[in-house]
Amino acid sequence: MRLLIAKRADAVHPGSWWLLGLALAVAAGLTSSIWIALSICVFAVAVARLLRTDAPWARSLGFYLTLATGIVVLRLGFRVLFNSGLATENIAFRLKDIELNLGFGPGVHLLGSVSWLTLQSAMLDGLRLAAIVLSVALANTLANPRKLLRATPGALYEVATAISVAINLAPQLIESLNRVRRARKLRGRSKKIGALAGTIIPVLEDTLDRSLSLAASMDARGFGRRGSLSSYQQTATRVLSLTSLAVFAIGIYLLFSDPALAMLAASVLALGVAEVLIVVKISSLKHVRTRYSSQTINALDLALWLASAAVIVFSVSGFGGVQ
Amino acid sequence: MIKISDVSFGYSGTENQVFRRANLQIGSGEFVLVCGPTGSGKSTFLKIFNGLAPHFTAGTLSGTIQIDGQDITGRQPHELAGLVGYVNQQPEGSFVADTVEDEIAYSLEQLGFAPSEMRKRVEHFANLLGVDRILKQNLMSLSGGQQQRVAIASALAAGQKVLVLDEPTSALDPAAADEIVDLLMNLAHQQGITVLLAEHRLERVISKADAVIVVNGDSSVNKFLPRDAFKEYRLVPPIVELSQKLGWQPAALDPQEAGNRSISPSQWAAKTEPSLGETLLSAEGIVVNYGETKAVQGISLQAQAGEVVVVMGENGSGKSSLIWALQGIGDMKSGQISTAWGDPRSMSDQRRLEVIALVPQKAADLLFLNTLADELAESDRVAGVAETTTATIFAKFAGRVDPKIHPRDMSAGQQLALVLALQLVKDASIVLLDEPTRGLDYAAKHRLAEVIAELQSEGKTLILASHDIEFVALVANRIVVLQDGQIVTQGSPADILSHEGKLPTQVAAALRTPGLISVSQVLS
Amino acid sequence: MKSIVSKITVGFAGVISLLMFIWPLLIPATATNQAHLAQGIFIGLMPVILVLVLVEFSSGSIGSKQLAVLGVLIALNAVVRVLGAGTSGIETAFFLIILGAYVFGSGFGFVLGSASLLVSALLTGGIGPWLPFQMMAAGLVGLGAGTLPKFDSRWLKLATLSIYAMVAAFVYGSLMTMWNWPFLAGSGGGLGYSAGAPIAENLTHFFQYELISGGFLWDAGRAVTTTVLIWLTAPALLATLKRAAGRAGFEKN
Repeated sequence: MRLLIAKRADAVHPGSWWLLGLALAVAAGLTSSIWIALSICVFAVAVARLLRTDAPWARSLGFYLTLATGIVVLRLGFRVLFNSGLATENIAFRLKDIELNLGFGPGVHLLGSVSWLTLQSAMLDGLRLAAIVLSVALANTLANPRKLLRATPGALYEVATAISVAINLAPQLIESLNRVRRARKLRGRSKKIGALAGTIIPVLEDTLDRSLSLAASMDARGFGRRGSLSSYQQTATRVLSLTSLAVFAIGIYLLFSDPALAMLAASVLALGVAEVLIVVKISSLKHVRTRYSSQTINALDLALWLASAAVIVFSVSGFGGVQ
Repeated sequence: MIKISDVSFGYSGTENQVFRRANLQIGSGEFVLVCGPTGSGKSTFLKIFNGLAPHFTAGTLSGTIQIDGQDITGRQPHELAGLVGYVNQQPEGSFVADTVEDEIAYSLEQLGFAPSEMRKRVEHFANLLGVDRILKQNLMSLSGGQQQRVAIASALAAGQKVLVLDEPTSALDPAAADEIVDLLMNLAHQQGITVLLAEHRLERVISKADAVIVVNGDSSVNKFLPRDAFKEYRLVPPIVELSQKLGWQPAALDPQEAGNRSISPSQWAAKTEPSLGETLLSAEGIVVNYGETKAVQGISLQAQAGEVVVVMGENGSGKSSLIWALQGIGDMKSGQISTAWGDPRSMSDQRRLEVIALVPQKAADLLFLNTLADELAESDRVAGVAETTTATIFAKFAGRVDPKIHPRDMSAGQQLALVLALQLVKDASIVLLDEPTRGLDYAAKHRLAEVIAELQSEGKTLILASHDIEFVALVANRIVVLQDGQIVTQGSPADILSHEGKLPTQVAAALRTPGLISVSQVLS
Repeated sequence: MKSIVSKITVGFAGVISLLMFIWPLLIPATATNQAHLAQGIFIGLMPVILVLVLVEFSSGSIGSKQLAVLGVLIALNAVVRVLGAGTSGIETAFFLIILGAYVFGSGFGFVLGSASLLVSALLTGGIGPWLPFQMMAAGLVGLGAGTLPKFDSRWLKLATLSIYAMVAAFVYGSLMTMWNWPFLAGSGGGLGYSAGAPIAENLTHFFQYELISGGFLWDAGRAVTTTVLIWLTAPALLATLKRAAGRAGFEKN
């Protein structure tokens, strides 16, 4: 049963999982409630556990859980350790106050009396980051990275190809590393150049040979064909790139300038993001490439998109109120 | 279909031209074998047809190349992708996708075919190459022969009229190689595709090709009819060498043709048995496991001074693991190894160098310096021997080589000689060679056989892993055949390589004369 | 990099991404409440800026040969990083980024830096909200290495590279600590940042945090490893990379 569900989940566009993951991360980042942060953690882990396949990228959920727990513990620990504010009321527990002189700046107060309020806010901060980490873990566990690389827009095609070449080379590299290490012993001890060069150079030469012959074969099969953008399109991408950055600068300024402008800042930043999306879209036009098996969008994808949108709208609109 | 006029090519930085003012024409649907000694530039020659030379090799190209009426001189490979399909030596090294169908569709995607047209073409070419049943499979799960079929299908899917293949059968076993060659012949003769095939095991192709282009290494490029090619070309397959030695007219091109003729007992001699000394290496019950894989399952082996023992067997039969275990560095789960100087497993790396030499399959793995001179000097220093000791040994094997050359720019034969010299700097008496004939042409193999004979006459023990039957016939005193990590047969070359044995040589298969397995036995 | 416009774009993007690291030092006191909103937003914004820079660099300038070398270096980097991860304080990702960028230029360096971190995260399951920030910081390290002056003298070359490696290791480390600082130390008293305080005061807190949290040790470990690795391997590696570039008939981007 679980595998059957997992199979359905695998048919979903990997981008949809990332959308949901990011939406949850945004919600986690915006919330001021320990309970909401905690529910996001629980939800992300539950969904990831239920739907994961046994693919390699789906096996690291345990690592993320340990990490998230570590973050919460670390945050609480840091807050108790660097407590310094000598709380006078609502004390949870008292520890010895230590003043530490680092040789620069004012002395650092460690430990001391810790209030419930401190603990609560440390818990919230910790859970928030933990929730963000687990939301990303959800996407990372459920989205097939190879499919995602294949779905990258044309503008990033070269970078995505370099990355998939690298992923394919990595296991061969480890194999060739082991082989060369063994072969090195044949030469007895080598004083002049450290063992490092003697290992890394043959491995690099070997892998470069393979990779260049792969590149030759890709080129011989048409990789690198591209049309050119019209001068109008070129100007448009340049102008949009620059203005998007200007818009980001303004947005960031607004974000920190006045609490009342937070919503405005968010919309300005969203405008910048839209501009970048257009840049990516236009830059992708230079490729003549078509797709053999394109990832289709199904009903599950639509459901995930709706859910993501709802999460974002809910958390953004809730933000003002809670504050 | 193809016309090249006054084409010259030279690598940048050197004055020598790989070929000079080459002129030739190749017709539509012709099946052409391209041959030449290693390092003669036959790979480079193949690459001029789709722009990989000079765009991926550096160097300068002049003259004009026309394909299908278009002048393609100076064009980039991706511009020619729709016209010329290209397949190289190792299919798994050129795969860009995960599954068979995605791989076949790759160039269609790059060239912007419409999705519906793509599906039609993928289906058609998968059918043509016989991979239609494995379309959804992962490429890495396929056999070498299937992989090469997929590579060919993807090189043709966009409707390319010319197919260029650089030694596509070198990683295949004989049966799979024959299938691929037959398939290519059919593509040429039935589909009208012009096929250019480089191959140094000429015996696999020569009788099926319509023409032979010889890239001779002296900057000449010429086209011949198959039967005429060997008047010009020195590197000949065993059967042709046999015909030449015996003065057969016309020369036989493969064992079937030679089979109608016979040889008189006065025309050949049995191999002379070497005089053997004490046992230098003895191994008992060797077991090597890699995780779950049982690579070697209890092999025992002895080798005496002055003896050449060859370990044969398919890929994955455990040859390499055995060789490395014997040296003492390789993994070994259980078993005993003893040499006249003690157990190699308890020796330091430095001490081992005085007792056992090993040349790994990829000899270049041992090389990491920027010039030949540096490598030779480093070897003297590490071994603590007088300067030029290694250089002297190397010169004995390889003759004079420019000491400033980058070791990786040397030919496969020279690299092998260099690594052998590095390993013999302390005059070790046991010499292990793992697949030493990889990438060597006939001339280099003959040279290697001479070196082996020389080491043997010095009283060393040699143990080789090889599946090159013809080469083994030349050097072996005793053969051990492995299968799944166990010894299935062992005996003299005359038995194992005979026409009744498991692994007949071409000469044995052609002449069916007990005891005669190698051209070297034929008296001229 | 082709035109002055694209240089300006990349420079501008660099400045904005730096802002997203060092904002705790700069924001006014009134912005305390928006700080955690900003943390969240920047996690989403950083990938967008990253995409913009990558598009800028990949538009037309990465041919299949550059891509092959890029793929090898990314893979090697990822593998070396995975192997080095077991030993704490040893950070092995940077020497290859710096050397690769030194040979093949800034654009190559940026892509190499950011993609290396992505691939090693993919291989080890280290994908998290910090990843875009790591990618950007490592990309900038590569970008900078590409602009280093080229000397013929072996010693000058090694000296330049090692000094850069030292600086880059500390800058990268500080940036990443700066990113997790508000998350782990929070704002207000103690070692956290305080909105509206003078930069000097916030920097003091930050360095105290760096020291006590052990981040400084980690950075020092990274700086030493990177420099030592460069000393050990640069001569051989640079020769190998240049040879590969020459053999394949490279034109630099």
